Amino acid sequence: MSELLKLEQVARAMEGIGTPEAVKANRIRVPTTPAKVKEAVRRALTDLACDHVVQIAAVDNGKAFELIYHLTGPHRTVVAIAIELPRDKPEVATASDLLPPAGIYERQIHDLLGIVFVGHPDLKRIILNEDWPANEFPMRKDWKPNPNTFYGGVRKEAT
Amino acid sequence: MTLSQRLANWARMKSPWITLFNSGACNACDIEVIAVLTPRFDVERFGILAKGSPRHADILVVTGPVTRKQAPRLRRIWEQMPEPKYVIAMGACGASGGVFRGLYHVVDGVENVIPVDVFVAGCPPRPDEIINAVVACLGLLKEDLAHGGKAWRTKPKVIERVVPTEGTPVPPKPAEVPA
Repeated sequence: MSELLKLEQVARAMEGIGTPEAVKANRIRVPTTPAKVKEAVRRALTDLACDHVVQIAAVDNGKAFELIYHLTGPHRTVVAIAIELPRDKPEVATASDLLPPAGIYERQIHDLLGIVFVGHPDLKRIILNEDWPANEFPMRKDWKPNPNTFYGGVRKEAT
Repeated sequence: MTLSQRLANWARMKSPWITLFNSGACNACDIEVIAVLTPRFDVERFGILAKGSPRHADILVVTGPVTRKQAPRLRRIWEQMPEPKYVIAMGACGASGGVFRGLYHVVDGVENVIPVDVFVAGCPPRPDEIINAVVACLGLLKEDLAHGGKAWRTKPKVIERVVPTEGTPVPPKPAEVPA
């Protein structure tokens, strides 16, 4: 097992992308913009040996969508690339061509929050039921179930 | 009642076969059902036998609040069971949705998908309560045989009266035809 990544190391690799900050001893957060996220993931993969995606966290904070890409590697340091997406146009470039496992997290986030990952090869349902109505995203803060909409399961008439 | 029918009913009363269906439970109920089958409680000494296929079973034990994904599957499994069939809804989730009630992905209880005969309270219910529920099913079976079917204990469907609320357009009355 190699040494933990140093903050200066990450700062050098992420030059022009964002200023990294050490959140914990083994966790470095890199805030950046949606346009630069793909370059950030690519640099983390090549320069920092982050070949493992722990998860992509997605949060609706009421004002915008926050995405945090948690990447790690043999050095056991988590590099968290954090971006914010506007509510009216939640679109970001996919990372699944660089890190294929990210594609599954992206499908889940697309399912529950409606964030579009541009360039994803197969952005279809993964977690909601097949008969869930389109354009309904249950993890959004402003989502309320409509009593007149059928959200899947068994229809009342059929029971 | 013919001799073969009496023989079949006798066999049903002596050995109810159950099958377990997890409709999105947290697994606590399922572990209690496993405890029912393993040596500590060992229900096979009462003739209660766990079957892998719903087509072989008399009693369906459903755990969980029934997720929207599982609801059509649960319905199909229940339809495959031969009559007379009985359903036990296990735990707080099976009765009302439990802690999952009102969430976007559940239909809040087994009764919204299939008719339930016995509810077992608890989170999870104890194994002896599950045995008690199966025995209660046998009591129902006995009464159903005496009444010649399940129809005697189903409530008549209440036809809801449509009360027009303010703001909804009232359909125009048909023109009166002079006599």
